[in-house]
Amino acid sequence: MMLLFLAALLPALSTSDADRSGAVTLAVPRVEYRMNEAAATRSPWIDANGWRILRHPEARYYYDAPSTAAGLAAAEAFAYGANARIHTDAAGAGEFSQMLEFLRRIPERALPPQANIGVIDDGSDETGELMNLLSRRNLLYVIVRAPAPKLDVNVRIGSKEYPKEDAANPAALAQKIRARIGDEKRLLRIYGSEVVIARLLGDRANARVHLLNYSNRKVLGLRVRVLGEYRSQKLFASGDPRAAVADAVVKGGATEFTIPEMGTYAVIDLSQ
Amino acid sequence: MAAATTARAAMDRAPAYKVVTQFKPSQHPGMPGPYPGKVVRLHAADSIDETTERVNEAALREMMSRGMCSLTGEKTERDAWGRFFDAKDVVGIKVNCSGAPNIMSTPEIVGRVVANLTALGIAPNNIYIYERFLDQLTSVHYERYVPEGVNILAVETPRGSLLGYDPKTYVEVDFFGEDDTRSNMVRLVTERFTKIINIPNMKDHGAAGVTGCLKNIAYGNFSNVARSHFREKTNTLTFIGTLASTEPLRSKTVLQVMDGLRGVWHGGPFSQDRRFRFYPKQMMFGTDPVAIDHLELDFIEAKRKAEGALSVFDRSMDHINYRRSLDPKVNRYIREPGHIEYAGKLGLGVYDMAQIHVTDIEI
Repeated sequence: MMLLFLAALLPALSTSDADRSGAVTLAVPRVEYRMNEAAATRSPWIDANGWRILRHPEARYYYDAPSTAAGLAAAEAFAYGANARIHTDAAGAGEFSQMLEFLRRIPERALPPQANIGVIDDGSDETGELMNLLSRRNLLYVIVRAPAPKLDVNVRIGSKEYPKEDAANPAALAQKIRARIGDEKRLLRIYGSEVVIARLLGDRANARVHLLNYSNRKVLGLRVRVLGEYRSQKLFASGDPRAAVADAVVKGGATEFTIPEMGTYAVIDLSQ
Repeated sequence: MAAATTARAAMDRAPAYKVVTQFKPSQHPGMPGPYPGKVVRLHAADSIDETTERVNEAALREMMSRGMCSLTGEKTERDAWGRFFDAKDVVGIKVNCSGAPNIMSTPEIVGRVVANLTALGIAPNNIYIYERFLDQLTSVHYERYVPEGVNILAVETPRGSLLGYDPKTYVEVDFFGEDDTRSNMVRLVTERFTKIINIPNMKDHGAAGVTGCLKNIAYGNFSNVARSHFREKTNTLTFIGTLASTEPLRSKTVLQVMDGLRGVWHGGPFSQDRRFRFYPKQMMFGTDPVAIDHLELDFIEAKRKAEGALSVFDRSMDHINYRRSLDPKVNRYIREPGHIEYAGKLGLGVYDMAQIHVTDIEI
């Protein structure tokens, strides 16, 4: 087993040399296909860590990610700006180094996160699980101290609108929040996969979309819709340096494009 | 009567469909086409051997020739096919292979269709036999029945890939809170084909009641359609007609050839259990998918009644079992045979039996 230091190699990440002690251990990022009859959908189960990182962006993180999961862990940490170290095996070292090479090619772009939802985080397990579900449904949120009027929806578990009883079924609660936003107003939509999780950063003129594929299979023909009209779409796709978006449509206040073949990670830079 | 009531109610409470297409209807859309309400139904007792399932090609050839001539009023088969196609066409043949290799668009029929197209001067490489899924399609071996050069393609290879679908032509709807709310049309339909021939089978269907022309052309030409069923509820009542009427699919689908040599009276659209396979030994020709499917619905319902199975119109929750069951007295979903009348109300054809003119021919 090898211990690999991601953050030290990437300018976007911390260069801390601290070891596992004192770091928050994250789940192995992956997807499990199983029926979830309790939920309104039959979505596969995804072990993703973005919500944990967003909750404590200042923390140090540790992954024990074997084999192909090492590449995905590196990408996940990068996408969320985490100070992370990744422990992996010999197979994972190759995956990690390939991913690292790809991450180095992505130009730095300092943009703030974009969201429809503000989550007032009380630190509870219930709020954590809600954020987890929101992430997995690509319902974009930021953590706020108090309701932010510029966001479409603000959620505090235990409020009149979102009583604690609602938190008992986080999937249903996420659906309720989705309905309140309305799909047409969502800043970002994904079509063609239930195992890709997105993060959106942006300002008035530019945006960056991070896409993480939690399965170990390529997603073919992934369609992305971003609110806002962006004439330029530049794709960086892990494993395919010549990749480009296809079938782009810019109209009606939105930008759509297809990623023909998506491996573990893709970044799309959008500009007006 | 029950179907009529269901379809009327469905018009009022259909899910909020958003149809996105840049295509306008042609001046004379393929569905219902030049022969609304007209169906030519042929029966040949020796068309298929019930034991070996071997097809009698001579009987089949006569069924197809007389069927097309009767539909069009032409004297020769060539002139009959020439009513619909010319040498410049690029033709998609939408087969149904969901029950393959036990029931599917009979390859001998598909072979005769291709022969009639090439006789008009259509190059083999401008003919496409297509289905959504590769494993089902390849199990039939259509290549043994058509000339070299004919394209035999599965749209969704591998399963889940959207590359074979048109991202700019879709129906968007949220049925059950699913994340992916779009169903995209097959890209060959929007970008390559000038005409489409639909060759379904006569089958019972656990969700739609029956599957025939409408179900094959609708669910067979769009992605992400299985999401329309959940627990006992299926949205086939309104989704089938909505998909089928989306352009350019509606305008380009010019001919319906119902393959009823084999049939499935229960357990459809699949056919794992031979007990539920039967042999209507029928073919139907027309341009109106609603009229043909109404006849099919009555036929399947009568067969189920004769076999002691639940009516396809049964809506009792007492008969629902969420686990897949082959018991003819159990339903997996509340079936929606009213989808045929609903499609009629969308203008895809004639549902009223009083206005359907059937020409029966015994071979």
